[in-house]
Amino acid sequence: MRVEKCFFCSSPMYPGHGIHFVRNDSKIFRFCRSKCHKAFQKKRNPRKARWTKAFRKAAGKELTVDASLEFEKRRNEPVKYNKELWQNTLKAMKRIEEIKARRQSHFIANRLKKGKELRKEADRKEVEKNIHLIKSPAAGLKQKKQMVEIVTERDVEEMESN
Amino acid sequence: MGRYRRKKMHKGDKPLKEKYRTRHRTRDLDQIHGDLKSPDSLLKQEVDLDKPGAAQFYCLTCAKYFINDKALTDHFKSKPHKRRMKALETEPYTQEEADRAGGMGSYVAPKKIEVLVQGAKTVDKEGDEIMKPV
Repeated sequence: MRVEKCFFCSSPMYPGHGIHFVRNDSKIFRFCRSKCHKAFQKKRNPRKARWTKAFRKAAGKELTVDASLEFEKRRNEPVKYNKELWQNTLKAMKRIEEIKARRQSHFIANRLKKGKELRKEADRKEVEKNIHLIKSPAAGLKQKKQMVEIVTERDVEEMESN
Repeated sequence: MGRYRRKKMHKGDKPLKEKYRTRHRTRDLDQIHGDLKSPDSLLKQEVDLDKPGAAQFYCLTCAKYFINDKALTDHFKSKPHKRRMKALETEPYTQEEADRAGGMGSYVAPKKIEVLVQGAKTVDKEGDEIMKPV
């Protein structure tokens, strides 16, 4: 049994699912569902359709280069059944999946950090620019004027007394 | 007396269905990349009266026949042609890329490719057309 990957969205295709299209130069294209087949018929670019894996990887939304991604491969070599090997493989698969999930979530958390900084910066700028909405530029002017008058009056009095 | 004829005002999705039929399938980008490597068989075709313009005016990148030289040169200036040229600048999408995107190995970003410009024809001393890369 072989689990293939869909040509358009890269999701796994189990036996008995999806559709094969063989082009007249005998190249095979596999599609997991009619959504992917129709998008291919319309000549959509999988790298530009936002819902495909190819888009997410090409646009840097997901972890692309990592050692944990190198385990899943097409090996093309039949292996004789061995219980111990089977058990070890299953154990390893679970462990690898765990590590992969952790690294991917770490990558996404890191990616989102930058947006937080940018948002903060934008907020600060907005406040600076529109400070007059919070605090009137005329606030305190009247008081200042009175202060100046009092000071000048006092100065005049002092001058006279001298 | 009822109505005899249903007015055919709406076509439904029939035109779309016909457009995306397998027999109406046009060449894909990866096939065109192959064509660009060996352009002579398409650009210097024998006279075929069944094809538009007797198969003498062919646009490689758009995989299309034109009726005369003017139609072809006008096409080179058109938006669809320029769009196609731009689309051809990156490597074609393959099943291998799909596998990699799906988690079979690390993802390798597609590279840029130089595209031959058919419109910028320059004639050399012997009168043969030469194609120049961008």
